[in-house]
Amino acid sequence: MRPSRASLSPSPPARSLFPPHAPRFPAALRLPGAAAAAAMAMRQTPLTCSGHTRPVVDLAFSDITPYGYFLISACKDGKPMLRQGDTGDWIGTFLGHKGAVWGATLNRDATKAATAAADFTAKVWDAVSGDELITLAHKHIVKSVNFTEDSNYLLTGGQDKLLRIYDLSKPEAEPQVVSGHTSGIKKALWSSDDKQILSADDKTLRLWDRNTMTEVKAINVAMSVSSMEYVPEGEILVVTYGRTIAFHSAETLEQIKSFEAPATVNSASLHPEKEFIVAGGEDFKLYKYDYNTGEELESYKGHFGPIHCVRFSPDGELYASGSEDGTLRLWQTTVGKTYGLWKCVVPEEEGGELAKARVSLPGTAEEELEDLTSENSDSIYSSTPEVKA
Amino acid sequence: MCCCLCPQEPAMKVPVSVIRLPRGPDGTSRGFDPNSPRYQALSPVSISTAGCGNEASLEREQQGRVALRERYLRSLFAMVGRTIHFTMYERVNVSAFFDASDIDILNFQVSDLQTPLGVHREALLRCSDIISYTFEL
Repeated sequence: MRPSRASLSPSPPARSLFPPHAPRFPAALRLPGAAAAAAMAMRQTPLTCSGHTRPVVDLAFSDITPYGYFLISACKDGKPMLRQGDTGDWIGTFLGHKGAVWGATLNRDATKAATAAADFTAKVWDAVSGDELITLAHKHIVKSVNFTEDSNYLLTGGQDKLLRIYDLSKPEAEPQVVSGHTSGIKKALWSSDDKQILSADDKTLRLWDRNTMTEVKAINVAMSVSSMEYVPEGEILVVTYGRTIAFHSAETLEQIKSFEAPATVNSASLHPEKEFIVAGGEDFKLYKYDYNTGEELESYKGHFGPIHCVRFSPDGELYASGSEDGTLRLWQTTVGKTYGLWKCVVPEEEGGELAKARVSLPGTAEEELEDLTSENSDSIYSSTPEVKA
Repeated sequence: MCCCLCPQEPAMKVPVSVIRLPRGPDGTSRGFDPNSPRYQALSPVSISTAGCGNEASLEREQQGRVALRERYLRSLFAMVGRTIHFTMYERVNVSAFFDASDIDILNFQVSDLQTPLGVHREALLRCSDIISYTFEL
């Protein structure tokens, strides 16, 4: 439901130095952006994306495209959704699966989506029109799907313990099948420029060579792997199991380091600049750690159920979490910074000014962008109440 | 004399302002707005109703779609209370009295569904499972 267009707080007169609800800052402290956020202690305001009716079990971001970046969420209600990545605005729902969707992914430029479901199929979708393009029948529940960089091949893995590689230009052709796992595959990812495959099941992490289709390396994991993320820059694999967040080399599978969280962790993600890790799990909380020192920096309550998946956005400015409570939440990496729908409140700025998070849309004039922002300048959360000296 | 900025007092934490909440599904369609800049730029024009074809052909196409849609909806009305024979996947053929369809034509409500396992007084047929159906007027 769209919020009403009437402002919830009186809009300040143009260019007034002291709008009614903003704190009175001494002139020297009127700093925009992240500096002001640091100057005032800011509390994180997560953005809740509703729409799903059952637990959200997987989510993935696209790369940054000329139209911004996008987010797909997999849900047990069988209806994965595509959203604008920096605002969480719903774009569309992919209709067609007949069972819970366990995995979802986007190709790099978000023109295609792929989903893995409990109806024993993986589907490829046109992520611009929402149309179903290809249905790939499997012999059991499919858990994981992943595109190659050129979007030409799709890797799938699931409860039948087989990795399958489909050539998307010949979808009717039989896929290449790689066997070896002894329990259901939870996640399968391309790595090393699509020359290798990383896969995880209940007890092992395995590395496969794509050309020979044979196993290169396998390691045992102490407990059932709950999530896996591949970071190409630096060839790092982020794996979670039990309360452990572990980092392995994607080339050798050797462990680099690991942290322990206060509760069972279901998913973790590494910041693109490798400064932070975010993780979430069974205690409903999200944790942010310094990647280098392992120090817990921030933690947030907010979800009403266990967190199943967390991912950083491609620009690292926000991270998204999906939960058993059926919602997706977007969290700022730098709390208080103006980005997407978050706005740093400083006396000179008023509703309507928005620092665009993404490259401006081709063919859109500045005036049209202003119209877009002014239409949405509802102040949902009022700025700080006036504080007397 | 207002120095209300006291970093030593973390109790003064201010929630970050938000210009609006993320928009949710609109409840009437599956989305993928054909008028969005991304759709216009990336989507193939062939059967797009919002494509950049000329006005006249667009108009004709839309009228054609309207006529077909109306005919289909009227056919659904004509089906009510009649016996429909459904051909479904996995070589399943059943027949039933048609009662209603939901708004997205995702499910058909039927009664006295005749199946090899017996007759179901009331049932819901998933339209994606149906290949074709026939009935007599």
